[in-house]
Amino acid sequence: MSGLPPRVTPDHAARRHSFLLAVFLIAGAIIGLQITIMRLYAISGWAHFGSLVVSVAMFGFGFASTVMCLGRDLFERRLEEIARLALLLFGPLTVLGNVMAQNAQFNPIFLLADNRQILNLILNLLAYAAPFLVGAILLGICFLAGRHRFQLTYAADMTGSGVTGLLCLTAMEWLMPEHLLLLPLLLWWGGALAWFRAWGDRRSPWMVSLSGVVSVLLLFLLPQIQVSPYKGVSYAAKFPDAQRLYQDAGPHGLLEIYSSSYFHFAPGLSDMASLTMGELPKNTYISLYVDSDGPIGIMKAIPTEQNDYYRFLPMSMPYLLHPQPESVFVVQFGGGISTRVALASGAKHVTVAEGNPMIPEAFSQEAIRTFTGDLLGDPRLTLAPMDGHLFIRSSDQRFQVIDLSLADSTGLSSPGGFSVTEKYLYTRETMTAYMNALLPGGVLAVTVWNKEDPPKSTLRLFNTLAAAGRATAGELTANSFYVVQVFLSTTTVLYKKGGFTPQELARLDAHAREMAFDVVYRPGERFQGDAQTLLGGFRDVVLGSKTGATPTEPKPGAADAEHPQPAVAEEAAGEIAEEGVDLSVPSLYRLMLDRMMHHEKLDEIHTYPFDISPLTDDRPYFAGFVRLGDMLSFVNRLEVISDEWGYLLLWLTLGQSAMAGALLLSMPILFGWRTIFAPQPGKLGILGYFAALGLGYILVEVALIGKFISALGNQVISTSVLITGMLISTGLGSLASGSITERASAIMPRIFLAIAAILTLYGVALEAWLPVIGTLSWRTTACILLLFPPAFLMGFPFATGMGWLAKLGKEPFFLWAWGINGMFSVMGAVLVPIIAVNMGLSANLYLAGILYLLAWPCFFALLKPSPAASRASGA
Amino acid sequence: MATLPLPDYKDKASFVSSMSRITNHDKAMVAWRFDRFKALLNNKDLVAGSEKEAKAFLLTAREEFTLQRNKPRAYDHAFLDIGYGVTISGPHLVMRMTSALDVQPDDKVLEVGTGSGYQSAILAHLSNNVNSVEIIEPLHERTKAVYKKLVEAGNAVYQNVHLKSGDGYHGWEENGPYNKIIVTCAIDHIPPPLLKQLAPNGVMVIPVGPPGKQTLLKVQKSVDADGKVTINRTDVYNGRRSVSFVPFTKEGGGTWSGKGNR
Repeated sequence: MSGLPPRVTPDHAARRHSFLLAVFLIAGAIIGLQITIMRLYAISGWAHFGSLVVSVAMFGFGFASTVMCLGRDLFERRLEEIARLALLLFGPLTVLGNVMAQNAQFNPIFLLADNRQILNLILNLLAYAAPFLVGAILLGICFLAGRHRFQLTYAADMTGSGVTGLLCLTAMEWLMPEHLLLLPLLLWWGGALAWFRAWGDRRSPWMVSLSGVVSVLLLFLLPQIQVSPYKGVSYAAKFPDAQRLYQDAGPHGLLEIYSSSYFHFAPGLSDMASLTMGELPKNTYISLYVDSDGPIGIMKAIPTEQNDYYRFLPMSMPYLLHPQPESVFVVQFGGGISTRVALASGAKHVTVAEGNPMIPEAFSQEAIRTFTGDLLGDPRLTLAPMDGHLFIRSSDQRFQVIDLSLADSTGLSSPGGFSVTEKYLYTRETMTAYMNALLPGGVLAVTVWNKEDPPKSTLRLFNTLAAAGRATAGELTANSFYVVQVFLSTTTVLYKKGGFTPQELARLDAHAREMAFDVVYRPGERFQGDAQTLLGGFRDVVLGSKTGATPTEPKPGAADAEHPQPAVAEEAAGEIAEEGVDLSVPSLYRLMLDRMMHHEKLDEIHTYPFDISPLTDDRPYFAGFVRLGDMLSFVNRLEVISDEWGYLLLWLTLGQSAMAGALLLSMPILFGWRTIFAPQPGKLGILGYFAALGLGYILVEVALIGKFISALGNQVISTSVLITGMLISTGLGSLASGSITERASAIMPRIFLAIAAILTLYGVALEAWLPVIGTLSWRTTACILLLFPPAFLMGFPFATGMGWLAKLGKEPFFLWAWGINGMFSVMGAVLVPIIAVNMGLSANLYLAGILYLLAWPCFFALLKPSPAASRASGA
Repeated sequence: MATLPLPDYKDKASFVSSMSRITNHDKAMVAWRFDRFKALLNNKDLVAGSEKEAKAFLLTAREEFTLQRNKPRAYDHAFLDIGYGVTISGPHLVMRMTSALDVQPDDKVLEVGTGSGYQSAILAHLSNNVNSVEIIEPLHERTKAVYKKLVEAGNAVYQNVHLKSGDGYHGWEENGPYNKIIVTCAIDHIPPPLLKQLAPNGVMVIPVGPPGKQTLLKVQKSVDADGKVTINRTDVYNGRRSVSFVPFTKEGGGTWSGKGNR
């Protein structure tokens, strides 16, 4: 039926088992490489660029499938030789590719201005594409060789990928990041040995072992991580007296703590501190870096006579209203500044949450304990080892003060744009939970960085707090908030349960005056300015033509070296007009807060040039403030929105994914539609089927896990466990699908319907279900149980479809279908955050449901027998 | 303040001819400087009618402060590499910051981040007491040598500049307080010691923000009749532009290297 030489598929049972083990391990090596690269990228560069690099590298799959589809005869004839070569190359290419990428560093912020940065980005893409391409060819060969028992082959592929997720987690626990590539290397080596055993090849294991030894030697001899000089820790490490006090690596990241007299850290410290205090405490902070990002200041135990210093920090404001409070909740421990301020204010008891277990561990080390005066050992303190939002939603404790200060670094000062990551600490639902957890008269204080100009994240935060305020305080909202800011420093929002009294307002006013904090909202005062002019001015500057050109790095060749010419003409574009209009941040805040807190003229403030809608559990992002309709107006002025690049990069990745996908898809059509595919019916149906499955599966995987994380916290570990659970469930589904092959036309429609129904139900109901499930362990169990049904069912369509392609003798489609599926998966991975930012995580589930419904009619197109098969069955 | 007379700058030809009489600057560079000057006015980086800043720009040979290889681009609308991982800011930014400071002849001025020395050279034409601190020791030595050479060549005005090597975050307390402080490297907050060394009613211009994108902040320290001090922060560009400076402290390479154990 297949026309393959009989040796291609391993025949004996033992060899078949070796073959499945090879698929399991090779799939694991590829996914392990992907996870490791993302990890290394997060440390050495920027995580969101890591996604770009990996998604480009994954196009190796599309490319491999296309090449293999076109050159199928060659691949089938020389299958063993090609597999041998690919297996020998994978390890060395993995290590060398990483070394090359790590040595071609780039800084996203200079990408537009400096061609060298773009060149380095391209080098990164190429360096990682090589091992992925080889890996894709290997997997393609595995599929080709195992196509007659495809359900088994696919189950081995999925479970291999799934189990590797957990292995990676373990490797992160035990290995330093620079040695993490050992895991994919080990899996590759094991996979290669299993492959050669399946084929009875006795000579090649020695060769691949030699290649393995060389790869491991290269791994240890060549630097596998070169931290970008533009990352926070690089600056710290270069201070003349810098000392690394502590280092620890684990699934939560690489944590480092440095000391130096050159650290100049003052999180929101009032300008008046140096003018009012005789002497500021010296060497007050050491710096904590996670994945080379930071610094997060760790504050020392300052001498009691300098305790006045705390008053100058914005985190001290709630204690003006509640001196010596009975109970305080600090939402995130971080570097411990808020906790220290609470204790210094005389708090009787402080509960502090911290989701990253590495931080309390670091604080328990001798050097840090001495510096901080054993802050975590204070008897007044209780540590809740979980994310703050989970604690507050599951606890029935009530507090006089809740402090959320500079937690989870709202990303307001991240060079190269902040990643599109979920910020559940700041959603409307979490804010409502904080407010509900206050004792009568209690105060919630939220302090964030205030470094955007024009502002975006802070306005989203204000809007979120106002929405939560309306849900909690109703009519009292306008009287329940007090907001101060220091331009290019921090802004602090105070919410008081029950509203502020005139005496309290007077106390806050006096403090703000003393500290030179700018009061931008207080009950009883309304915005008096001209809203239209102010918002119009911002629109002109942001969207219009009046924005000045940002100074850029010199462009090579901009001036003739021999005959330099002035660039007077270019300056015309840099005209700065209308300087008289007040476009200051405080004025904007006054207007926005006035409208938000009084819930008036909201249409007006939504004419602001950026999207400032509140964060919700379904849309928990600060990123994505450029509206879809405005995107094109920034094309020539991307520097204006450089803090949005993480999000824009997703669009760029989607665009290039779509283009590359279209190109790869068209190649077999251009070269083989008439010759290879012509006799095969149902071509478009097959295309649609595997595209829908590729896109649908990844939408569910990423979106569902995103939703579960909101209930579980502990992002890194939860994600790994959930992905593993999902892939293994799908593998089981694939395995089970073998039993329905003959009845597929009757059963598959029910499976498509069931998948769509479950996804729709989850989209509607998960948010309501998950928070009411009591403890974390119950929630974890519930998440895994909820994950199983759709994941298991989603194992059926792909395996069944591929199985039928092989069964019907539609050989030419086999690899092409796999490539289509892979390409749409890559696109889907990028599409999920884009859809989530614009429409919410649930929208991904609905879309996936629709895609599985669309796959239903396509499946019947796939089942149309090929003429050859018809003839065969007729005969 | 030993300075040169104001050249005739009603047009390029007059300016080139006038400069050739009072200086030995390269004529092509002088002509190019004039073109850049017109662009600065056009962009409001230089306030029209403000003769003292105009004179400072026109009399300062920027090409003396750039690397030899970058001289052909000395007057580009761009910042240029000066080695040690740092840059010389574009003329537009230097003059925008200088204009925002509004330096008076008797003002005591502190610059944090000497770098190439170009900014302090401009300031030397405006004040007879310019103090500048540079953290990168070899860069400090190199710039000191540039000034020495310029003074020896007859540019007495640069005797107004006093250089020191050290961490500018702490200012230069012995020479303070200062009427004007200009910070020419990026930091994410205003250093409290600089606020302290700012004289009553003094002005500081400082780029604040993350690496690669800062906002140019003008900080005014006011003292009212009762002696109460207030600090006022405003954006020099009024929300219309960000700027790009190298970080406050950065390794230079060469002999200036940290002892970090990473």
